[in-house]
Amino acid sequence: MIFPDVSWAAIAPEIALVAGAVAILLVDVQWKPEPRVLGGIVALSVVAAAVLSVGQWFRLDTPSDITIPFGGMIAFDRVSVLARFVLLAVTAMGVAGGWRLFERLGRRAAEALALVLLATVGFSFMASSIHLVMIFLGLEVGSISLYVLAGITRERPDSDEAAMKYFLLGSFASAVFIYGVALLFAGTGRLALLGQRAFLDANIVTRPAVLLIGMALVIVGLGFKVSAAPFHTWAPDVYQGAPAGVVGFMAAGAKIGGFAALTRILFTGFPLMADEWASVVAIISALSMGIGVVLALVQDDVRRMLAYSGVAHAGFILTGVVAGAAAEPGIWFYLAAYTIQLVAGFAIVAAVTGSAAGRSGLDAFAGLSVRSPFLAAAFTVTLLGMAGIPLTSGFVAKFGVFVSAWQAGFSWLVIVAVLASVVAFGVYLRVIVVMYMREPGEAASPTPSTAARWMLVAATVSTILFGVLPQPLLDLARNAFSV
Amino acid sequence: MLTWLILTPVVGAAVVALLPRRRPELYLPVGVALSLIPLALAGVLFFEFETGEAGFQFLQQALWYEPLGISYRVGVDGISLGLIVLTAVLVPISLAASTSIDRRVKEFVVYILLLEAGLFGVFVALDLFLFFVFFEAILVPMYFIIGIWGGERRIYAAVKFFLYTAVGSALMLAAIIALAVMHARQTGAPSFDFADLLALDLSPSTQRWLFAAFGLAFAIKVPIFPLHTWLPDAHVEAPTAGSVLLAGVLLKLGTYGFLRFNLTLFPQATVDLVTVLAVLAVIGIIYGGLVAIVQPDLKKLVAYSSVSHLGFIVLGTFALTSGGLQGGVIQMINHGLTTGALFLLVGMIYERRHTKKIADFGGLAKVMPVYAGFFLFMAFASIGLPGLNGFIGEFLVLVGSFATLPVYAVIAAFGVILAAVYLLWAYERVFTGVPDKPENQRLVDLSGREIAILAPLVVLVLVLGLYPKVLLDKVAPSTEAILDRIEQTTDFQVPEPGRLADVFVAEGEGR
Repeated sequence: MIFPDVSWAAIAPEIALVAGAVAILLVDVQWKPEPRVLGGIVALSVVAAAVLSVGQWFRLDTPSDITIPFGGMIAFDRVSVLARFVLLAVTAMGVAGGWRLFERLGRRAAEALALVLLATVGFSFMASSIHLVMIFLGLEVGSISLYVLAGITRERPDSDEAAMKYFLLGSFASAVFIYGVALLFAGTGRLALLGQRAFLDANIVTRPAVLLIGMALVIVGLGFKVSAAPFHTWAPDVYQGAPAGVVGFMAAGAKIGGFAALTRILFTGFPLMADEWASVVAIISALSMGIGVVLALVQDDVRRMLAYSGVAHAGFILTGVVAGAAAEPGIWFYLAAYTIQLVAGFAIVAAVTGSAAGRSGLDAFAGLSVRSPFLAAAFTVTLLGMAGIPLTSGFVAKFGVFVSAWQAGFSWLVIVAVLASVVAFGVYLRVIVVMYMREPGEAASPTPSTAARWMLVAATVSTILFGVLPQPLLDLARNAFSV
Repeated sequence: MLTWLILTPVVGAAVVALLPRRRPELYLPVGVALSLIPLALAGVLFFEFETGEAGFQFLQQALWYEPLGISYRVGVDGISLGLIVLTAVLVPISLAASTSIDRRVKEFVVYILLLEAGLFGVFVALDLFLFFVFFEAILVPMYFIIGIWGGERRIYAAVKFFLYTAVGSALMLAAIIALAVMHARQTGAPSFDFADLLALDLSPSTQRWLFAAFGLAFAIKVPIFPLHTWLPDAHVEAPTAGSVLLAGVLLKLGTYGFLRFNLTLFPQATVDLVTVLAVLAVIGIIYGGLVAIVQPDLKKLVAYSSVSHLGFIVLGTFALTSGGLQGGVIQMINHGLTTGALFLLVGMIYERRHTKKIADFGGLAKVMPVYAGFFLFMAFASIGLPGLNGFIGEFLVLVGSFATLPVYAVIAAFGVILAAVYLLWAYERVFTGVPDKPENQRLVDLSGREIAILAPLVVLVLVLGLYPKVLLDKVAPSTEAILDRIEQTTDFQVPEPGRLADVFVAEGEGR
């Protein structure tokens, strides 16, 4: 029997996260500690994973340095590490931002925190895998954790509804994805992405129908995960129904995992079929931007608005995907910038309308600038970042993917994208108007937890800092890719 | 030097933001004091500026993001110099005139100072990416200024202002990206550097598309008819300081953009599209003037007069003659001074009477003689009375455009008459006659502070009216360089009489 080559170094950060999750569950059973102790364990394992990732980064000498241990299941390269950095940041910020929820959950905090860590592990494997089966496993670990998280506040029916909806539609999407994987296997006889690429390199496929359908199904499955139109219909209900404290993490984690897998599959596995998939992705991108911004404009619930704006952002990121591997640093910059804003946005929503609550009407934000200048300012910067106003990271991110798309010859998509950005301005301005220009009602001043406060400071600073000085982060992203 | 110019207002904004909350009376004076620093810098800039040089001066450069060819590159030439000084002058004045702002004063001062930084940035940016960053970033403080401290329909006006301008700039962003990508195709590396992009070889049809994309952004800002509908709303709802800066400087971003980018980057398209722009400019002049005549609201009247005046600037720019271009640049400054002053005056009377309706006034000259004097002076400057600044600008524009666009110049000349009609008729209704309304009889005349606010503008109006050479000498080489470029890259020949104006202003110098 041949044992696959084992490289503990390649999966050390994930081991740290799993260890954290297991520790939380065991400690909880034995000592029933305060939630803050469990939070400490989360922090510890996230920091450990981050430190180990930094170690990995320096162990890998060059962007093109890639080894594939575990029988080709795992890719040990800088792309994986970069994706994990973003994921860990989002996890830490998500837990900090939704801390009030975990406090409220009491006995169930352990479950919730362990699930957050497991979801992170799943998405991290999605990003660091180069094998379709492993990508699917990561996708399922991540998704199933999120289904449960969506329904973690069991007493509220709309939370259950959100969880159920997410579960049903999500499973369906997973099924579509795995069927696509099966067809790709049927077409190439391989499951490893590099193998598929080598197969296409060496052979001329005379009847590509199986491959094309397989690829389409894979794109649809992942399109669901990143909530790209027209596979986005679950997003508003789930974002609205799930407890506010975890929605940010859910949305951001799924986006990172989904895009990591999508870019891996398309750029590593099937760059030779770029002509075929690029136009499909371009259409999905245009649809997402159009549908996302227009529907976001008419929402009266901030969380539904953020959900639809998330659809639009999926579209914006896809403009980079269309451009192919050359756009990868730009895509990751966008993902990093946007997911941080997303988590920050939901942390503010949680602080304003209650971390366990469903629904967050726009009215709850009336006069926030008077009731809590800090939250209003943080939300303004976050929203301006999402809108892509210059001097925020969102602008640099959009600019990067647009340039790539134009360079790849998709100028029509860029024009759709810039016009969609204008409508998006309207979406975010509406909230700012309510916060700054509407009189506050008798609603109490929201008081975010200390953790959430610090997390918001960090998110706001990063939004502006990477907007003014994007070079360090962009260089980091570029160093992960051999373009 | 230029970096300091951009940074000092930002630092100022930070200082104001950190002032203790218990001392609200400090915000405005400190803000005014801090805005004098950039004014001093702008003054130094003006006098250190090497007259007779066409190129950019005070250049500063730093790589910003190398792989995409984005750099921080700033410089000043004769065209931007005047606008920088104008901005630096108007900001302290409009802050000093904002004593009627009674809530959230700290934020107000912060936004005005940030706006100032953005405006400086736009005028000095020599990298298209940097330019776009500032061009777009300006919207945010202005949006808050209108939306928080504006009149009754302020939210509608603020959002309309924001979205209108954002549509234009979005397409400009696409065009900027297109330029950089074309640079990458032609030379191997993308670049957003203005000087690099000038060297691009663009086909006429490409030029026309890009011209349209840039032009739309700038036409909305100017605003050129029929894209002007955001302007009356924004102006009327904005607080006085907002109106002053909006009319005084923000509108000039459009005309400045045309002159700086459209004419130089897309010379062939410019020559091809002259007629379109000239027609729209003339429509703007006449239409703005006619609509201004019938406005019952003093502030709206001044707002529509801007549409008319800006039409002159566009006409001069696209006349493609020395006189036209120089007149356009001078007129940008003039309009900033006079219209800014008129908005200040309207604001002062509004603070006293809480109405801007012309019909509510009458006979004010007897009650407020000093105020009436200032108003009449500024109205004359705006109409273009010889000896005051408006005359020089409009005269140059008309002479300049007569050489290449005679018909349009003749029609545009009627705009001057319309200006006399709407301003003098408004003056008559507001100031002459007997003050028959009891509310008007007890109005107090201008205070020393208000006179001090208006005085610098009066001085500048007189200086530019009597001795425009101070500015024209600095402007002329830069505008001539633009014309030279158009002549070199297209078969368009600037007619000889069209070059006459530089004999008239700067004998022996210039070309």
